[in-house]
Amino acid sequence: MNEGPANMTETAVALPSASQDHVGFSLNRVGVIAVNTLTEAVRQKVFNFFLIIGLVFIASASFFAQFTFGEQMKFIKDTCLGVISVISTLIAIVGTAQLLPSEVENRTIYTILAKPVRRFEFLLGKFFGSLLLLVLSMMAMSILFGAVLWIKEQGMIRELSQTYLGESAADKADASQQIKRLETEAVDVDLVKAIAADLAKATLVASITLLVSTFSTSLVFNVVVPFMVFVAGMLRGTAVEMWGGHQLLMATLAVVPDFGLFSIADEINLGNVVPWAHVGEIIVYGLARTLIVVVAAHLIFSRREI
Amino acid sequence: MRTKLLVAIVLFGTGLILLPMENAVRAQRLRMKYGGARVTFELREAIGQNLAIALLAGMRGVVADFLWLNSHTFWEKKEWLRQYRDMEVVVTLQPQSVLFWDLGQWHIAWNIGYGSLSDPKNRTKAEGIKREHEWHQKAREFLERGIENIPNKYDLYFAMGWLYYEKLSKDCDEPPCRDALCRATEYFGKAAAFREAPQFVPRVYARALEKCGTLRAAYEEWKRLWSLDHSTTEQTWSIIEREIRRLENELQIPNAQRVFPPSTS
Repeated sequence: MNEGPANMTETAVALPSASQDHVGFSLNRVGVIAVNTLTEAVRQKVFNFFLIIGLVFIASASFFAQFTFGEQMKFIKDTCLGVISVISTLIAIVGTAQLLPSEVENRTIYTILAKPVRRFEFLLGKFFGSLLLLVLSMMAMSILFGAVLWIKEQGMIRELSQTYLGESAADKADASQQIKRLETEAVDVDLVKAIAADLAKATLVASITLLVSTFSTSLVFNVVVPFMVFVAGMLRGTAVEMWGGHQLLMATLAVVPDFGLFSIADEINLGNVVPWAHVGEIIVYGLARTLIVVVAAHLIFSRREI
Repeated sequence: MRTKLLVAIVLFGTGLILLPMENAVRAQRLRMKYGGARVTFELREAIGQNLAIALLAGMRGVVADFLWLNSHTFWEKKEWLRQYRDMEVVVTLQPQSVLFWDLGQWHIAWNIGYGSLSDPKNRTKAEGIKREHEWHQKAREFLERGIENIPNKYDLYFAMGWLYYEKLSKDCDEPPCRDALCRATEYFGKAAAFREAPQFVPRVYARALEKCGTLRAAYEEWKRLWSLDHSTTEQTWSIIEREIRRLENELQIPNAQRVFPPSTS
């Protein structure tokens, strides 16, 4: 904590208060802050706006009616998973960007930090609150997505059964095989893997936003910078393909997470094998990156003059 | 200043530490053929700026779907070249999609092919036929690329067999073109070898063997199907029995060797 005499102002701020010094880390306090953060975030108009937009898009994804069964299923899954991915990223950025600035602006942070609450607990509580918001909104979108798929699947099965009504035994047997295939392809358990990877990605985006908000008080800046980092992260895969041989450049780019690695939804929709081991590696990568960014955010926030 | 330096070191240092992990995941994706064509300037030109942005945002599937819907619109407008161009871009974006290869070849061979044949702009009937044949060949080449990309699923082998059976077998001077039918049989055979192939696939294979002129091979295939475990294999056994009986008569199989010897009563 002590940075030495080089910067006296920072050092004075960095020293914990007498009350904080004797207080150990408490998960309970982190939990309380997280729940409060969630409550505040849910009341935000912008969060509700994004969530409603997401839910409307997902619900309307079932209107690809004039295509074959295979096309309809693919379009629905692609659209819904795309919406979940975009909306969760937006919620991660917008939901987290104003967490710290609003506390500073409203001066509520003084009340909280005057109590025996460590800055790290406060920061972690805010982050977990944002994470809870992400989990809840993704759950809501995923449940609706599942419902849309199920309704579509039942409709298709009904349609198939009616088409083959009164046909020969061979046609009926073929229809029964088609129905079985439809049942396994429609509500595919593997879709959970895509949603899990999206959650890991959104968590990382939220942590980056938190990091930016520890040193900036401008809401616009807190939204734009993480978004730019996200775009840069999406382009890292392309950069590696184009300039993979330039070791120095690649090393410089290493500071930006490769968000393209989280994109497995397309592969799952195409019926490709996506092993849990691969999903696990992506999640571990996401969590490792998140941990690093949260530690960096703590380093800044613990030394920040408020 | 020291804090900023420390944060920069943490972010860069750990980024470098995580590089091998990133590279491993990337290598896995490459090995499992995830993704599709690289985003190049040519691809960006082909799909337009907005879709290129969506593509770079990781929404490859949505972009491909959108272009597919677009190609469908071109079909309705009878703008076949545009439709074909869009389908080419779609399979470039998602070369692992069975659906796009399968439906794409169907559009090319059946819809565009017939559209060209019956196009009022044709000066002679022969011109229409020639143009139709050209689209059939385009569909064949399209599917060949599909099979190269997805050799581990039955669908495209069956589609190729069906293309030979239904379309290319009528493209010679004196149809049915036996060579095309025999090529169809090859592909049906490959499709039937997959465990997950629907029950009609091996039946189509056996029938194609007969069309190719190899009656004996067709009979053996029907017999092989009949010999499968009836309690665990889903199949329409009545069709197989009917075909075996018919071929046993046609081939004049001795009673002792027949699966269904004629009843003596």
